[in-house]
Amino acid sequence: MSVWIIALNTFKEAVRDKILYVLTVFAILLILVSRGIGWVSYGGELTVTTDLGLMAIWLFGALIAIFIGTGMIYKEIDKRTLYTILSKPINRWQFVLGKYFGLLLTIYVNLAVLTAVFFGYLAMVGAPVTLALGQALALTFVEMTVVTALAIFFSSASTPVLSAIFTFLLFTIGQLTKWVVDLGSVLQQSAPWAEKMLLALYRVMPNLHNFNIRQEAVQAHELHKALAISPGETLNVVLYGLSYTAALLLAAIFVFRRRNF
Amino acid sequence: MTIAADANESAIRTRALRMVYHPGLMQRSKVALHSLNLDVPRASIYGFLGQNGAGKTSTIKILVALQMASAGRAWIMGTDVIHPAARQHIGFMPENPYFYEYLTAIETLVFYGKLSGMHGPSLTKKADALIEQFGLKQSRNTRMGEFSKGMRQRLGLAQAVLHEPAVVILDEPMSGLDPLGRRDIRNEILALRDRGCTVFFSSHILGDVADICDRVCIIHKGQHVAEGPISALLNQKVVEVEMAFSGIGPEGLPRLAEQARRAWHDGRLYRLLAADDDEALRLRAEAEAGGGTLRAMIPHHESLEEYFVRVTGEEGELKLLLDRAAEAASKKNAPVEGEKAAEAEEGAPAP
Ligand SMILES: Nc1ncnc2c1ncn2[C@@H]1O[C@H](COP(=O)(O)OP(=O)(O)OP(=O)(O)O)[C@@H](O)[C@H]1O
Ligand SMILES: [Mg+2]
Repeated sequence: MSVWIIALNTFKEAVRDKILYVLTVFAILLILVSRGIGWVSYGGELTVTTDLGLMAIWLFGALIAIFIGTGMIYKEIDKRTLYTILSKPINRWQFVLGKYFGLLLTIYVNLAVLTAVFFGYLAMVGAPVTLALGQALALTFVEMTVVTALAIFFSSASTPVLSAIFTFLLFTIGQLTKWVVDLGSVLQQSAPWAEKMLLALYRVMPNLHNFNIRQEAVQAHELHKALAISPGETLNVVLYGLSYTAALLLAAIFVFRRRNF
Repeated sequence: MTIAADANESAIRTRALRMVYHPGLMQRSKVALHSLNLDVPRASIYGFLGQNGAGKTSTIKILVALQMASAGRAWIMGTDVIHPAARQHIGFMPENPYFYEYLTAIETLVFYGKLSGMHGPSLTKKADALIEQFGLKQSRNTRMGEFSKGMRQRLGLAQAVLHEPAVVILDEPMSGLDPLGRRDIRNEILALRDRGCTVFFSSHILGDVADICDRVCIIHKGQHVAEGPISALLNQKVVEVEMAFSGIGPEGLPRLAEQARRAWHDGRLYRLLAADDDEALRLRAEAEAGGGTLRAMIPHHESLEEYFVRVTGEEGELKLLLDRAAEAASKKNAPVEGEKAAEAEEGAPAP
């Protein structure tokens, strides 16, 4: 209950902040100019529009998580709004979860708006609106639970600038972890220990590339496939995202509970 | 949910409370509270005084669970402050309270009410009543970001009393307020006590404290130096007698000016300060011989401010040194004595 009260309040506070609108307007602009880019560079291919639109939604979701999320808990401490809240009969974990779900709700509402604009635009320019696209967007939504949890985790432990850097770093590394494994198998012969290390690294890093099925989703239509990846695979990825998120939130609560303000 | 069984249990109780800050790896750690014992009786107004940096805010933060004590324990209405249940009894206003900038006054209060377990139309009604009571009616739908410091302070108090807690803890509630605002807060504190609520507040504004507190505790450098009802603490001896005469001109009487502590003409009356009653009588005879007529004669007792300066000044420093020496000596003899005392205390308020 308290989690929900804090989450709604966080959402309310976030949607009244200008930065959210600035980011949203940028994202919409990016979706709209994607057609133009398609014309100029690829001879008017509609797949480029679709591809860029999916990417814009994904990127701006992450940017909102990083820009708003990393400062979120720090701001409460810095401005001392947290003093009055924690003096109420609530637990600290409820505060952390409230902040998390509030931010996630903000991002989801935002992504939903962007998705509507995107699909509307695709229909307008005559590009296919397929189930595979929905699947790719759904995984973007799941990816955002992880990115938001990263932001909240760092925010509950350090300053906004550091949190933003760390979150951005892990977000970027997370897109590339597949290559870490590839690199590892290359090294298998020459340096087996290096392969082990890279594999361990791969296990702890958020493998965000798992959520990236945008390419497959765009191609699914031409290949006459309904889905970008199979339902089983999808379920795996979703479970991975939710577990990683849960672990991050537990860590955030662990850190936050011990702090003195 | 109330765990406190004993109605005679203090509203706030601390035993051997200690707070040590460790600012950073290379910096020296700082002991902000040495070993604080507090017993705040129920339905009383309790003033918590001390100079800047004495440890008032540190104590309060432990009571409302913003910080964990390095050692010792604290209870609110018999519940250990480490349990969230203790906070059901608390209304808290921090030093210079601050709120979410984009929420309006009424939204802010409703939010806090919900966190305290209130809901529905009764919550909105109560919030509106408080907004009106604290003179914020015009700003009901104004965003908190546009509130002045004094307005935030008023809302801070409203937020603290909204759920009608048994104990209200206020950190510097009067600082930065204009006289009207201070009066409003004082009246609210008195009204709370009359409703059976315990009010614990820290302050520098000793005049306000002296007027309304049933008891005070003065701490100095993290250690308690005096505690009790104000009347029992202050020196009851007359420390000064003030007299006012008419019939003496602005030029005054040289002999009087010489003997009195101070002599001056305020435009209407000639005023004298004498060190004690005997001297006052002598000066009076002299003044009357010089043509003056006595208009007023007021004995001054020690004020809380003078007392405060006394116990936190040299005398307080000396007491601290003696206390610490005694503590060190007792530790040498029986190293676990302090802990035993704390343990003995633990048995009493068990749920
Ligand atoms: N977070 C902290 N880290 C390190 N030292 C601290 C911290 N908070 C307080 N202190 C130190 O502890 C001591 C007590 O501080 P505290 O804020 O409790 O004083 P106070 O009585 O409330 O003072 P004031 O009247 O100025 O509000 C001070 O010397 C202060 O420097
Ligand atoms: Mg203070």
